Amino acid sequence: MYPASFDYHTPGSVQEAITLLGKLRDDAKLLAGGHSLIPMMKLRLAQPKHLIDLRKVPGLAGIREDGGSIAIGAMTTHWQVESSKLLQAKIPVVSDAAGMIGDPQVRNLGTIGGSLAHADPAADMPAVMIALGAELVIEGPRGRRTVKVDDFFKGLMMTAVGPDEILAEIRVPVPPAGSGAAYQKFPHPASRFAVVGVCAALTVDGKGICTKAGVGVTGAGTRAVRAKGVEAGLAGKALDHAAIEAAAAKAADGVDVQADLQGSVEYKSHLVRVHARRAIEAALGRAKGGK
Amino acid sequence: MTVYTGSHSHGQGHETTFAQLVADQLGIPMAQVEIVHGDTAQIPFGMGTYGSRSACVGGSAILMSLDKVKAKGRKIAAHLLEANEQDLVFEGGKWSVKGSPGKAKTWGEVSLMAYLAHNLPQGMEPGLEATSFFDPPNFTFPFGAHVAVVEVDAETGQTKLLKYVAVDDVGRVINPMIVDGMVHGGIAQGVGQALWEHGVYSDDGQLLAATMMDYALPKADQLPSYETERTVTPSPVNPLGIKGAGETGTIAATPTVANAVIDALAPFGVAHIDMPLTPDKIWKAVKAARK
Repeated sequence: MYPASFDYHTPGSVQEAITLLGKLRDDAKLLAGGHSLIPMMKLRLAQPKHLIDLRKVPGLAGIREDGGSIAIGAMTTHWQVESSKLLQAKIPVVSDAAGMIGDPQVRNLGTIGGSLAHADPAADMPAVMIALGAELVIEGPRGRRTVKVDDFFKGLMMTAVGPDEILAEIRVPVPPAGSGAAYQKFPHPASRFAVVGVCAALTVDGKGICTKAGVGVTGAGTRAVRAKGVEAGLAGKALDHAAIEAAAAKAADGVDVQADLQGSVEYKSHLVRVHARRAIEAALGRAKGGK
Repeated sequence: MTVYTGSHSHGQGHETTFAQLVADQLGIPMAQVEIVHGDTAQIPFGMGTYGSRSACVGGSAILMSLDKVKAKGRKIAAHLLEANEQDLVFEGGKWSVKGSPGKAKTWGEVSLMAYLAHNLPQGMEPGLEATSFFDPPNFTFPFGAHVAVVEVDAETGQTKLLKYVAVDDVGRVINPMIVDGMVHGGIAQGVGQALWEHGVYSDDGQLLAATMMDYALPKADQLPSYETERTVTPSPVNPLGIKGAGETGTIAATPTVANAVIDALAPFGVAHIDMPLTPDKIWKAVKAARK
């Protein structure tokens, strides 16, 4: 299908883009890689009158170490995230998860910021960002502000980014020594989106006690959420099989699991628990192995 | 040499295999053969390609016409060479008199004279054309054995096709690469039917799997590299000894893969699952059988 007609804008700076957004407001959508918005426009699920393309805005892409965090520009493509030597060394789960998105064509065009700002309930990266406790840097007419990932995802395709704001950067804290993280995904057989995706990030001390646990769940519900019950079940415990099993059993609690063509609420809740257990086991293996 | 065929090619490679057949029979390069199909302005009648019949039926009709054209060409060549037909040798697309290969008539010279018509055998009608219809006395019966190795994740119902071996007997093969291509494509189609493809409708008749993001066609990364082999038992029901090859993969792959999945689930007591064998159905069947 063809999209409805629209005007196309190519601002040359973040400021110019924000000014345009302020003027056009609800009639405008920001375009990053176009791998979520354009299909929606073709199906006419989205009919913006104006597209503001961010691809010519300098300074929005790139990956750099900044203090104790890795800062990823919003327009950085999934492939750049997947292949980043810096991320692979410091927070490999981010690269791993990026490599599980779509297919090579999608990864060469789709961006991490576009994915997070679009907040598709089956996107992969939200679960990873929740598990790692990322911060989202948002630019707007009132300047720059930073939002914690727990305050970012508001609902189905809704985020903390205001109508006149732009997601500019994602800041992921580098986990301390003794940490490990893993993302486990059950891909949709056609779209490759996550039917269920769970990311677990753990830190264990010298005695094998889990000192910190972050677990994010995506795909099953209307938005990515933090699995607080699982985190509580892991933190402070020696992570033997029984502890992991008991913690993972709580993975679907608090997720508004939706039935669809891929399965019932019961099945998808089960998948969340299984993938939580596998993600925790893999994360623990990495934590013990150093990364 | 132009061949007009009522058997239409929409990817089966008639332009190649039929041209091979002509080049082989007439001793001319494939580049001098044109295959015309699918144009109602040029083809008096055709029913297309179906039932894996094009090479068996269409190919045999082409062979019959080639025999007629060759017989007439031989008469013209003998006349031009002032020799008896039975003293002619046909080799490399040329006729010559036995024992004096220096004096030869090519297809070009013979064809030209067939239409110039000022030096033809007494009573011969000009032209060098033939139309043939082949009505096979029976169907052809290709046979073979396909084997699949499938891994099932009993916890999630996820399937993985690890290995696929296909041995088919399609009689004599004109072009092995094209036959392999048809077998490969057919296996993918059969696997898709067994495992993923499902046109789901809602109770009120809305097609729910209406886009390629929902309807799961098999993709390259879901399929192993197939192992294909052939035995050759010529068919007795057509002069080429050819049997249908186009549907060996589609027909065999579906039950092969479905049976492999059911075999993997045999320890759980699962004996049947309706196709497609999607993960949620497999999970449900295992769960029910375990009760």
